[in-house]
Amino acid sequence: MQETKTAVVVSERSRPNELKLVDPRLVDIDGSRARLKAGQCRQCKAYSFPRADVCASCLSEDVADVFLSEEGKLYSFSTIYKGPPGWIVPYTLGYVDLPEGVRVLANLDIPQEQLGVDLKVRLGFKAIAKDADGSPLQTYVFRE
Amino acid sequence: MRSVYAIGTGIIPFGKYPDKSLADIVWPTVKEAIIEANIGREAIDAVFFGTAFGGLLAGQRSLRMLGISGLPIINVENACSSGSSALRLGWMSVACGCHDVVLVVGADKLTKLGGGPLPLERDDCEVTQGLVMPAVYAMRARRYMHDYGLTREQLAEVSVKARKHGALNANAQIRTPVTIEEVMASRLIADPFTLLHCCPTGDGAATVILASEEVARRHSATLVRVAGSEVTSGVYTNGYRDMTWAELTARGAKHVYEMAGIGSGDIDVAEIHDAFTIAELMYYEAFGFCERGQGYELLHSGETSLGGKIVVNPSGGLLSRGHPVGATGVAQAVEIVRQLSGRSGRHQVEDAKVGLTHATGGGIAGFDHGACSVHIFSR
Repeated sequence: MQETKTAVVVSERSRPNELKLVDPRLVDIDGSRARLKAGQCRQCKAYSFPRADVCASCLSEDVADVFLSEEGKLYSFSTIYKGPPGWIVPYTLGYVDLPEGVRVLANLDIPQEQLGVDLKVRLGFKAIAKDADGSPLQTYVFRE
Repeated sequence: MRSVYAIGTGIIPFGKYPDKSLADIVWPTVKEAIIEANIGREAIDAVFFGTAFGGLLAGQRSLRMLGISGLPIINVENACSSGSSALRLGWMSVACGCHDVVLVVGADKLTKLGGGPLPLERDDCEVTQGLVMPAVYAMRARRYMHDYGLTREQLAEVSVKARKHGALNANAQIRTPVTIEEVMASRLIADPFTLLHCCPTGDGAATVILASEEVARRHSATLVRVAGSEVTSGVYTNGYRDMTWAELTARGAKHVYEMAGIGSGDIDVAEIHDAFTIAELMYYEAFGFCERGQGYELLHSGETSLGGKIVVNPSGGLLSRGHPVGATGVAQAVEIVRQLSGRSGRHQVEDAKVGLTHATGGGIAGFDHGACSVHIFSR
C-alpha cells in the first residue's frame, strides 16, 4: 500500500533546466527567490493557503492570486529523525506565523543552537528531498 | 432516546501479528463478546466496523469468518477515531430504536505498513512538506514547554506511568516498566520526543456489543450503561491557533458531560488518547481534571496513577497497550466496561462507577485534529 522509495511528491511536468518543486501548489521558485502562493477573497478579504477556488469564509469564488509576506515569527518547531519514506533525515519543521494572519508549516534552515520559539524568520528555498531518480526537490524554507 | 448498554466485550492482546490477516485477529474478539453477552449470532441486528487502514469491506471480510453476514454492516473511517466513531454510530442506532443489538468492532493491522510514522494523506499541503504525526505532537510539546516551563524529564514521566500500568495488563503490547533515564536515552524521533515518548505501531482488534435496556436486563448480570456519546470534528483555520490547548477535545468533553449529566469530578477512570506523552497532559486539562498548565502537577501527584482519585489509562494507554489506529476507541471501551464490572484483574481501579473513553486524531492541515470521540460509561 505504501511506496517505499519515493518522497512525498506532487508531480509536476518536468522540463529541462527547471527547478523541481516538492509541491508547486504552494510556492513559486524562480531561481533566486521563493514566494508562497495564496488566495485572497475579493469579497471578504480572507486568505487561503494553499490557494482555494472558493472562500471558506464567505463561499465567494472571486479569489485573487496573491503572494504571502516573506517574514514571519516561529510559533513552534521540531527536528525529525524518522520521516516519511524517501525523506532525508534529520530535517526541521516549524509553524511560521505571517502578518496576514496565516500560519504556514515550513522546513527550517536554521542551526539547532539558533532555533527558538518566537524567532523572526525569513523565506527562502532549498533542496530538501530527492525524487525517484535522485534529483533534488526544492521547496520553501524559512531561515533566521 | 433509549438507554444503551454494553453487554459484551472482546479483545486480543495487542502486538505484532505480521502473519495473520485482519479477519484472523478480529474474529476471536467478536466470538468472545458474543459469548460474554450470552446472545446468539442471530440476535445481532447490525455491525459498525471501525478501521483506518483495513481496506475495502473490512467488516464483511472479518465477520464472514463467524458466519455473520446478510445484515447491515457499515465500515467506518475517521482516522484514530475510527473505532470510537463506530461506537457512536452503534450507540445512535440503538438509542433511536433502529436496532436492539449491535456489534461494534475496531481493528487495524499496522505491521502491514512496515513501521515508522503512519502514512498520511499525500495530497495534504503539510504532508508534502514532510509532516508526520510525531512532529505535530512534538511542536505542541515544544510550545507547551516554552509557555509553561515543562521539562523533558517531566514529560518523560508520562511514559513511565503508562508503562507501569501496561505491565499489569495482559492485553498490552508493551509490558515492561521503564525509568525516566531510559525514556530520555532512547533514540530521537521528533525532538523533544525520543522513541519512548511515542506509542508503538502494532496490530489489534476489539469488540463491544451494545443493546437496548430490555435486552441488557435479560442477558447481563452487571449493567454498564453508555451514558454519553459524542463524535465531533476539528474547527478548520489556516490562521493562528494555540497548540497548547486541545480545543477539539475540550469541546467534545463539554458536550458529553452535559449529555451524561456529570462533571469531570465524577469520573473514576479514563482511557484517553496518549499517542505521545504531551497529549496526556494536555488532555488532563481539556477534560477539566486540572487547570491549564497544571497537567504535570496532576501526573506527579499520583492521582492519575492506579490508586489515585482519577485513574488515567489503567490499561497502559496508547503508549503501552498500543495504538492500532482503528482498534483504539473500541479497546478503550472494552477496558472501561470491564473496569466498571470489576473484571480488570491486576490493573483494576477500585470501585470504579463512572468511566470515560477518548480517541482523537488525524493529521491534516488546518485542524487541531480531524476527529474526536468521547464516551461516558456508568454503572
